[in-house]
Amino acid sequence: MAMDVETLEDSRHHRYVLNMGPQHPSTHGVLRILLELEGEYAMELLPVLGYGHRCHEKIAEHKPVKSFMPNTARMDYLGALIYNHGYAHLLEKAAGVEVPERAEYIRVITSELNRIQSHLLWYGAYLLDLGAFTPIMYAFDDREHILDILEDVTGSRLTYCYFRVGGVSKDIDDKFVTSTRAFIKRLRSRFPMYEDLVNGNIILQKRLNDVGELTPQLCARYGVTGPLLRGTGVDYDMRRAEPYSIYPQFDFEIPTETKGDCMASFLVRFREMEQSLRIIEQALDGLPEGPVMAAKVPKKLKIPAGDYNASVEAPRGELSYYLVSDGSDVPYRLKVRTPSYSNLSVVPEMCQGMLLSDVVSAMGALDLVIPEIDR
Amino acid sequence: MDINQVKKQWQTLSTTIEDIDYAVSGHDYNICLERDKVRDFATLMLEEGFYLVDLMAVHVTPAIEVVYQFAHFETRCRVLARAFVDDNSEIATIADIYQGANWHEREARDLHGVVFVDHPYLFPLILAEEDVDLKPLLKKEGTLKDIDAVRRKPPEPAPEPKTKVKPEGAEAKPEAAKSQEQS
Amino acid sequence: MEIFYSILPDLIRMVVCAVCGAAIVFGNALVMGYAERKLAGHIMLRPGPMEVGFHGVYQLVVDGLKLMGKQLVVPKNADRPLFMLAPLLAFAPVFVPLLVIPFSDKIQGFDLDIGLLVILALASINLLAILIGGWSSNNKYSLFGAFRAVSQNVAYEIPMLLSLLSIIFMTNTFSLKGVVAAQSPVWFIVIQPLAFLIYLVAIVAETNRAPFDLPEAESELTAGFHTEYAGMSFSLFVLGEYANMFIVCSVATVFFLGGSSGIPLPYFEYSGIIWFLLKVYLLMFFLIWIRWTYPRTRFDQLMNFCWKYLIPFSLVNLIITVVMVKLL
Repeated sequence: MAMDVETLEDSRHHRYVLNMGPQHPSTHGVLRILLELEGEYAMELLPVLGYGHRCHEKIAEHKPVKSFMPNTARMDYLGALIYNHGYAHLLEKAAGVEVPERAEYIRVITSELNRIQSHLLWYGAYLLDLGAFTPIMYAFDDREHILDILEDVTGSRLTYCYFRVGGVSKDIDDKFVTSTRAFIKRLRSRFPMYEDLVNGNIILQKRLNDVGELTPQLCARYGVTGPLLRGTGVDYDMRRAEPYSIYPQFDFEIPTETKGDCMASFLVRFREMEQSLRIIEQALDGLPEGPVMAAKVPKKLKIPAGDYNASVEAPRGELSYYLVSDGSDVPYRLKVRTPSYSNLSVVPEMCQGMLLSDVVSAMGALDLVIPEIDR
Repeated sequence: MDINQVKKQWQTLSTTIEDIDYAVSGHDYNICLERDKVRDFATLMLEEGFYLVDLMAVHVTPAIEVVYQFAHFETRCRVLARAFVDDNSEIATIADIYQGANWHEREARDLHGVVFVDHPYLFPLILAEEDVDLKPLLKKEGTLKDIDAVRRKPPEPAPEPKTKVKPEGAEAKPEAAKSQEQS
Repeated sequence: MEIFYSILPDLIRMVVCAVCGAAIVFGNALVMGYAERKLAGHIMLRPGPMEVGFHGVYQLVVDGLKLMGKQLVVPKNADRPLFMLAPLLAFAPVFVPLLVIPFSDKIQGFDLDIGLLVILALASINLLAILIGGWSSNNKYSLFGAFRAVSQNVAYEIPMLLSLLSIIFMTNTFSLKGVVAAQSPVWFIVIQPLAFLIYLVAIVAETNRAPFDLPEAESELTAGFHTEYAGMSFSLFVLGEYANMFIVCSVATVFFLGGSSGIPLPYFEYSGIIWFLLKVYLLMFFLIWIRWTYPRTRFDQLMNFCWKYLIPFSLVNLIITVVMVKLL
């Protein structure tokens, strides 16, 4: 429920400022938002960033390109493998390294598992924002299986550094394949339960419908991508729009909704999980034998002078790495375009005139990962 | 979107338009702009339905270069536009055309000290208020490179790693294809 | 001295009642605290407290000790006297309504003719405590919580009263014992199902529990009106909340579920309390269950629901009841 901004324009002296964050349960990290409130209506919003900035771009300019890989995982703790993927993709493109096909398959499988894991956590945390305490535990129950599967192969549970320039660090085994197949079956059987909660719960529907509406034009002006954009009816997905890795080989849909509100992005994320499962299934079926690492990747990887860009689809939208190289093995400039950064910048316009509760649910729909913004 | 139509309009604004190989660089077009054409260019891009991917600064000589990246929702068309700032590190803002540029410009201001003229709220975004003049991403003496050093070289003298690695990749390929047939 | 001897029985009765009331308040808080955490755990696929004692039964005792040992922090620029008064005000009035509740035929503090009015009047003081606590905390979130609590509780008191009033019209008495006695053949939940439903919804809002826990909506207002409270002052709010839950559920039992009536047990005039408590805790279980199941409503939706649905329906229900009583 939004209030007309004009009708309240003359009552400015009634307003007061509420400081939401940097430590607030629903900002999901050290994000601070200054709200200028009129009663409970947020008339102006001013996000304040930078509380946890780790200067990754500065670090990148001081070490060899290959050793920046672990840093990429720290930017988005939920989509670490996809961040790995983007960076490996960038360097392979720039240095002309060919990746063995098996490695690409493994990358796709693990990346998609990572995407599902991210969406599951978002599901739980979003409903927590809306005041339902229980779903997060159900989501974590499923997510735990993915973490166990990925831990076996990558060695870590959250900030993976599994991909290398030219392949992956370790081959997967039969246990990985069987447990992934078991997990696909399990998650498929759980979807009806998750769906019932969305479609059957009137409180949730009333909280999400018509809240935080976006349009494709607004998304273009702010650079909003990912499930939010697909919720407005634009089927823009990096895996399809600018195919990378071996995604063109797989048969999957890009889910879209038309309304662009919180409910639309909610449903889009749900159906994305299903599509990710489909991709994993196809990749497991077509998994080729062979090496998982390109032979003889130079230890000191020199990138030819010039600028390079690689974009991948992170769980929250388009992730771009832009590398300016001067011909040495240390980047001259590395810029990471993180999806949450652009997605959050739409908040002051999207949430203007909203109730405080709606601000919380609209921000939850953005699926913010603050380390990605304060990278 | 008709790309030839758009290209014609670009030509009226920009100094050079370079078609570049997407497979190598990840961009389709590389456009060098005069700094006073930046706003016209952004307006044009918005009309054509491009969205702003990113905006950032690169510190090179002769001046800091501001790099704009655009892409399109419907067709693959990744555009890289660049412009140099003037002697006072100033360049026109595009934050009123692409509102998403607001934060990117504030970030560029924090990290490189680029002043975007007429920006609605050029307040430090990432840095603390007292560190406005820190400019952490400016290169030091000695590490600062000329613009030509970071531009792509013409492809004749093929870059070293490319030739070294390619045969291995070529070897791996038939093997992988075989196993795919089996499955 | 003469006068002293004449009032001595009443005095003793008062002391006994006060002790029993305190025992109920604290005992109920222990039971509910444990039950809530354990049930929430099982609803969430986890075991809940397990460490202290068998299945964590002593957890609440340990937590109570911890809370008592904590420092009472008064925020800077807070209104200190009011800040300290609020938790006491939330906690103290809950003893009085317990005196008039007929736990069984013989177990009742005082059978007042205005029993219901005493309960409703004193239950509203809790709201005052929330308002004072939110106001004096010098915190915008607290203030928000207090605002929400006031408008919500004032609104939901109306359907609650109206639904109880339709019972009062049928029984012609405010005495709780009289209401229980009037249900001897059939409980009022059968005759007045709509009033029961309305009352049930209203008490969820009245006790500030999810899905209507807007005064303490933690994802919006951090902790709402008790954001700044710590240690014992916080736990007094919680004690008050659980005692209030007990009281409103007792009222529901008295008015709709036949009070202590049930399958006769030996010494039924005393042992009826077993049935009474069973019904009360069944209702409390229901409150816990929905708290851990549903998301929170939005504030305007909550108020709309009250003014557009609950109040008209309870009014219609009241009018029909009055007409029926007059006709029959």
